[in-house]
Amino acid sequence: MTDNKVLMQIRDLSVEYKTRLGMVSAVDHVSFEIYEGEILGLVGESGCGKSTMGKALMRMIQPPGRISGGQLIFDDEDIMTYDQKQMQAFRGRKVSMIFQDPMTSLNPVQRMDEHLVEAIQVHFPEISKEEALVKASELIERLGIQSNRMSSYPHQLSGGMRQRVMVALGLILNANLIIADEATTSLDVIVEAKLADEFRDIREEFGVTMLVITHNIALVAELSDRLAVMYAGHVVEIGDVYHVFDDPLHPYTKGLLHSVPNIKLDEENELYKMPGEPPNLTHPPSGCRFHPRCPKAMDICSRLEPDLIEVEPGRHVKCWLYEDHPEKTESTPEVAK
Amino acid sequence: MKNEIDINPTQEAQAETPEWLLDLDKVGFVRRLFLARKWYGGDWWFVAISAVFLLFFIIVGIFPQWFAPYDPSAEVGPSLLAPGVAPSSYVLVAPIESGNITVKDIGDKTNNIGFVIGSPASQSLREATDALNDSAPEGVRYQPRQMRYETLEEGLDALAAGEIDGFVASPDELSEVLDKYPTLQIANTLREDASKGFVMGTNQIGQDVFSRIIWGTRIALIVGLSSAMISLVIGVPLGLISGFVGGPLDRVLTLIMDSLYSFPGLILAIAIAAVLGAGIGNIIVSIAVLYIPTYYRIVRGQTLSVKKELYVEAARSLGTSWTKILTKYIFPNVIPSVVIIFSVNVGDAILTEAGLSFLGFGLPPDTPDWGIDLARGQDYVRRAWWLISYPGLMVSIVTLSFSMLGESLSEILNPKLTDR
Amino acid sequence: MTDTKLNPQNENDYLVEVENLKKYFPVQVGFIEQFFSKEKEFVRAVDNVSFKIRRGEVLGLAGESGSGKTTIGRVTIGLEEKTEGKVTFDGIDLSTLNGGELRRLRRRMQVIFQDPMASLNPRMSLGSAIQQGLEIHYPELKEQHRDMVLEVMEKVGLAPALFYYNKFPHQISGGQRQRVVIARALVTKPELVLADEPIAMADVSVRAQLLDLMVQLKNEFNLTFLFITHDLATAKYICDRIGILYLGKIVEISDLREVYAHPMHPYTIALMAAVPVPNPHERRKEPMPKGEIPNPIHPPSGCRFHPRCPYAQEICSAEEPLLRELRPGHQVACHFAEEFQ
Repeated sequence: MTDNKVLMQIRDLSVEYKTRLGMVSAVDHVSFEIYEGEILGLVGESGCGKSTMGKALMRMIQPPGRISGGQLIFDDEDIMTYDQKQMQAFRGRKVSMIFQDPMTSLNPVQRMDEHLVEAIQVHFPEISKEEALVKASELIERLGIQSNRMSSYPHQLSGGMRQRVMVALGLILNANLIIADEATTSLDVIVEAKLADEFRDIREEFGVTMLVITHNIALVAELSDRLAVMYAGHVVEIGDVYHVFDDPLHPYTKGLLHSVPNIKLDEENELYKMPGEPPNLTHPPSGCRFHPRCPKAMDICSRLEPDLIEVEPGRHVKCWLYEDHPEKTESTPEVAK
Repeated sequence: MKNEIDINPTQEAQAETPEWLLDLDKVGFVRRLFLARKWYGGDWWFVAISAVFLLFFIIVGIFPQWFAPYDPSAEVGPSLLAPGVAPSSYVLVAPIESGNITVKDIGDKTNNIGFVIGSPASQSLREATDALNDSAPEGVRYQPRQMRYETLEEGLDALAAGEIDGFVASPDELSEVLDKYPTLQIANTLREDASKGFVMGTNQIGQDVFSRIIWGTRIALIVGLSSAMISLVIGVPLGLISGFVGGPLDRVLTLIMDSLYSFPGLILAIAIAAVLGAGIGNIIVSIAVLYIPTYYRIVRGQTLSVKKELYVEAARSLGTSWTKILTKYIFPNVIPSVVIIFSVNVGDAILTEAGLSFLGFGLPPDTPDWGIDLARGQDYVRRAWWLISYPGLMVSIVTLSFSMLGESLSEILNPKLTDR
Repeated sequence: MTDTKLNPQNENDYLVEVENLKKYFPVQVGFIEQFFSKEKEFVRAVDNVSFKIRRGEVLGLAGESGSGKTTIGRVTIGLEEKTEGKVTFDGIDLSTLNGGELRRLRRRMQVIFQDPMASLNPRMSLGSAIQQGLEIHYPELKEQHRDMVLEVMEKVGLAPALFYYNKFPHQISGGQRQRVVIARALVTKPELVLADEPIAMADVSVRAQLLDLMVQLKNEFNLTFLFITHDLATAKYICDRIGILYLGKIVEISDLREVYAHPMHPYTIALMAAVPVPNPHERRKEPMPKGEIPNPIHPPSGCRFHPRCPYAQEICSAEEPLLRELRPGHQVACHFAEEFQ
């Protein structure tokens, strides 16, 4: 995966928003890449900034929030420099998003076929309505909804179906990147499994890149090629999903992976209970934001924030355990591999 | 992996809670009020400003005598005097040897006081003597003989010759000619209390507008607050019970309330006032009836929605009795909206009362009331704008202050301080 | 407390017995439509369900939406009236109780709800909220109420208790709120606890803490749990027995290890396969059943799962399979369950 082309590069992105209690830095100087054709899982708990990140990638942060710094390079262009018109052309066409609750993201008084045709005609005005309709039906069938349901309204469809309509909206414009923000969270288990299968299939068939944002660790294990773990506005670990699961480097990742329930009878029969709670981002902890809860915290951890460094090809960690510093008193072990 | 992990949750969790959140419990109420400023921003200022305004009004309403320079029903000045204009203060001219005498000194019926025939000086003299007589003890009467002259010079000649004891004229007229009479001087102003001036002018019968405004505050606040209180005390419990119990009781009450509500407010108030008759008590009642449906509807709606909340169901699952659910779970969550309605209600009640008085219903016609003043001033819009402007302004400001208080209070009464 | 009707002191093994429970909700019809439609329609949320819960055991009821699991929980606790059937708590038939008696019986059965923020009165302090149960059921112990509350708060991990006693729900975190809900449920020392998806809304890293807490408390106070969940992975850590529900019916029920190791109903097999495993080496290879969960107003004939079942035969649409015991203590409702052993 790492020798694929880079589709989108996030450089030093920061998003903050204003609350009564002060400025919250929801995403703090985050950098990583999304490679073409991959499924990248972005996991974290509530408040870690993953949803904010997803919205930021489409520059959909609304006041009181704003992107306070950084670059978003897509196709060699920094979309932060785009004006309104360029962004409108970008959204939907290059990057599209699937939200958690499809009921509120679909217009309740617009039929499904109208939704899809409208999307096409906004970006490709030269395509006629009939052509658009044909294209839409094909895609819907491919996603498992019978084309005779095309004229249904959102409330007449089930949750799973609505999500598929959202996927269709993304695919119909041949978006390069689809961001799924907790897209399966409100769905039943079997429907979620089928949708995950769908994501894999469309990646195979259409070559679409996916960013799957979720708090469901098990889901990313099922689905993604690479995994990025976020905590309190930082990406703390990122790498190939097998590598991260087999040998989690960051203490948070380690704790997180061991606290997830596993249905298999002979696996993980006792869960790790991570101490403490996710922090309040108006007054984040000093230095490494995880240090108050970290079983391996050192003196330097409360004073200085570590960098996200590449400890081996394709694997990045943001932790003083793997980074050297003149003030650090303990030694830095080599990462085994 | 398991050996390294220390399972010890909440001790560390507390280290996370920021200082100021902890402090909140330790400080007293007043400090908390000021700490609140940090969070509520604009709303806090609105509440603070309107609260200060209203406090001021309430003080004025309770102690109008401290603020009003004159008795509101007394005809203390010339009629239709523009605001800030000093009334033509007529003065008493007398020989220098008499000293600085006043009308009181030469007010006996053996004295003669002169003035130019037909000039307003005569009215001033008469007003001055009347004022003296009002405050005079039993048996004493001031009634100087009035001598009329064709021109100012004739009168001053007579004074210089000793034929009269004093002469009344305006300082403007005198300034030109007094130099020719070296034996005469301006002894005193005609009226002692005329120097106070009329900040907002006077109305057509000479009453000080400013004093009337001040005294009007009392009526407005009494009527506004009392009627709002009555509406609240009747409307809120009815709404609570209706929403809570439901069924036929609810239907009947809703029907009644909706019918009342659909009446245009002022018309309904007029109808009730007409039936009940005049008097401040009846006005209060008719305005109160007007607002009962508002409290009822809002409280009923809130009760219905709170009833569905999960914490009410949780209370039910604990085994809580229905009365306790109503008082401890539903009522406290309904109060914030009631407070808001109340503050807007008072403002609106004052407005309605002004309207009713304007139309001539309810209050006795000589009461210093904004509505009455507005009514009386109608005909003088062009000539004497101050007759309706000031009462109108007062009604607007007080109503606005109440509304502002109510609206911004809604933010503060919302229990969600933090965004988590 | 001296009420023998509410405290029969039975010796029987089973704390709860549910027999042939049915709960139908009438479908809301518009004002005009009610003149046109012929017969009333019902959402058959729970359709002939029977089970028993032993003292001290944790029975899980698992299923997707429309399975009826939440409704069963609510009827068992008495928060909802049944349409048909019998619910017995400690030998007491709930339908024989009047309103006041049922309320007093609540002392012995409590609820932990899914959404901690919504189930706490925003205007009541935490200490006060937890104390409610004591004020209602143990009014004679008034002086000790505060201490009892502080004690239970310490037990659920809200320490130091005095610090949290005067706080309000919006001042603490989600995980802590759920602890308050647990404390509130346990303060009256109940015997039965209905836990309705208790950790679904908590943060991932906090869920393990809460699960562990519930297991600890269960052991310490000898509680019996009726644990409603949609997450089979979570159920593994707390449930002794588990029942799988589909569209208002129990399709499989047995000891948890037994069901997980030897699932026999095609729906159970599919459901278990669908649960994602947090291990990329164990990705699911099995296909998922076609179609979606049908409308509970018009459930399929015969076996409700037949339209989606890859093994359906003619008999499946004609005749409804009953629960039969195929392995010791393991019941399945499927005509062909033997083939899936």
